[in-house]
Amino acid sequence: MKKILLFFSLFFFVSTIAAKEIVVCHECDVSSIKRAVELAKSGDTIRIKKGLYKEYEIEIIGKSLTIIGEDYPVIDAEMKGTAFKIKADDFSIEGLHIKNIGTSHTSDNASILVSRSKNFSIKNNRLSNIFFGILLERSENGIIEGNIIRSKARSQANSGNGIHVWHSKELIIEDNDVQGVRDGIYLEFANNCDIINNVCKENLRYGLHFMFSDHNRYLENLFENNGAGVAVMYSKFIEMERNLFRKNWGSASYGLLLKEINDATLKHNIFEDNTIAISADNTNRIDYLENDFISNGYAIRIRGACYKNVFRRNNFLANSFDVAYTGNINENEFSRNYWSDYTGYDLNKDGIGDVPFRPVKLFSYLVNTTPEAIILLRSMFIGLLDFSEKVSPVFTPAELVDPQPQMKKIKW
Amino acid sequence: MKNLLYLLIPVLLISCSTDPQPIDYGQDACDFCDMTIVDRSFSAQAVSKKGKQFKYDAIECMVNDLHDHSEAMAIQQVADFSHPGNMIAVEQALFIVNDSLKSPMGANLAAIKKESSIASPQSADTYYWNDLNAYLLEKDPILGFE
Repeated sequence: MKKILLFFSLFFFVSTIAAKEIVVCHECDVSSIKRAVELAKSGDTIRIKKGLYKEYEIEIIGKSLTIIGEDYPVIDAEMKGTAFKIKADDFSIEGLHIKNIGTSHTSDNASILVSRSKNFSIKNNRLSNIFFGILLERSENGIIEGNIIRSKARSQANSGNGIHVWHSKELIIEDNDVQGVRDGIYLEFANNCDIINNVCKENLRYGLHFMFSDHNRYLENLFENNGAGVAVMYSKFIEMERNLFRKNWGSASYGLLLKEINDATLKHNIFEDNTIAISADNTNRIDYLENDFISNGYAIRIRGACYKNVFRRNNFLANSFDVAYTGNINENEFSRNYWSDYTGYDLNKDGIGDVPFRPVKLFSYLVNTTPEAIILLRSMFIGLLDFSEKVSPVFTPAELVDPQPQMKKIKW
Repeated sequence: MKNLLYLLIPVLLISCSTDPQPIDYGQDACDFCDMTIVDRSFSAQAVSKKGKQFKYDAIECMVNDLHDHSEAMAIQQVADFSHPGNMIAVEQALFIVNDSLKSPMGANLAAIKKESSIASPQSADTYYWNDLNAYLLEKDPILGFE
């Protein structure tokens, strides 16, 4: 954070002394952005007036420029390649509308490609009909804020990612709105990034996707109606707080996929109307605190070896299955959750049910082995089966139990 | 009764088929890493001798998954990077490892046809199927190796 502040103050300082501004418009002396970039020196500002600019492969190398679009000038790459290629420190781009980035399976054409750069900001741009949106490689200390990204991945089945980060660190990705690409926000080998208050909807694969990325936080984002909400894979130390996962619905769909994750925290998230709210596979030391699981098919499905996961003070409201397990329970703890399926009583009125709650239904085992059995879900026979299992557990793991189920929904 | 039997025989034969089912991009999930398979340039698939279908979003997923299984495979094929959507048998493929290839699971690995004009096996970063296994399992990006 300090670095960023320093960068801004430095930037302001430089621009006040050596301020030169190049204005680009159709009637101006400089009528193309490429020409403006050629003329500009480090520290200059390029102001692009409203209009249509059919340009691509605009390369900015080693120049610290401020590029400002007035009233969203349109940069049309005409499906020919990458619009901006930037390798520079201390630059900023804002207020542009970049469109028509061609798909390719051999090169990652992007609206804005940033490589080996430091201290930059990409703000309030509109990207439409794109392949990759903002692609960052080996860069650090940047802000990507307020961009609106739209494409048509669902109909084309071939698309890049909205914001794609590779081998980078210390980025802030905030207030962006990404719809209709492959992965809304994708991080691979990206560390120490904050992803805050973004909206990722209608994306082909994931709203947000981490691969091999450690020490990241994502807070207050909305993930709705994506192929699947968020996939966090092969990563460590991820903080996930106050996000909303909605309507990730489909046979292979889930709100959140955790695969090979260690030391993560989930707090104050809301999972609503997902086929599977959380699918956890090989996760260790995850704290699930005060999350709401509402009307999901499965609230939590745990597969493979998961050690030392803690589920505390969560609300499980009207899910078809609260918890499903394959494999053994390995030191996982459920305590003080609220379960809407709980039918016990509280004689001493301390707010804690006197009878422990077993969240795994026998039927969920049957469905695991024979998925087609799901059509029996609301049948009386299954009700009887689950009831008899509740009375005398034979198949469900005895240690999977919430000893202090709450009588009232937990307020957090 | 006999007629019924005649009806059943082709059904049984079909169900044991080892023909690979086409991958439904955007719908099928990888059998190893669970990710949805979307990229036609990097996918892979295998069919066991008993007819069980395995689909993968990346070649590195197939290599790792088949290493964990002991099941005998009838078919193993990978996406042709130069013709996305086409599959080639692993024996016919030349595997390329290069930083510019952003394969889904981080191995930077793609396959092309052996006889393809851009294939140059002299280069240090190409492998045939047999060497690929050794290479990938030795430096495994999926197990956290970079």
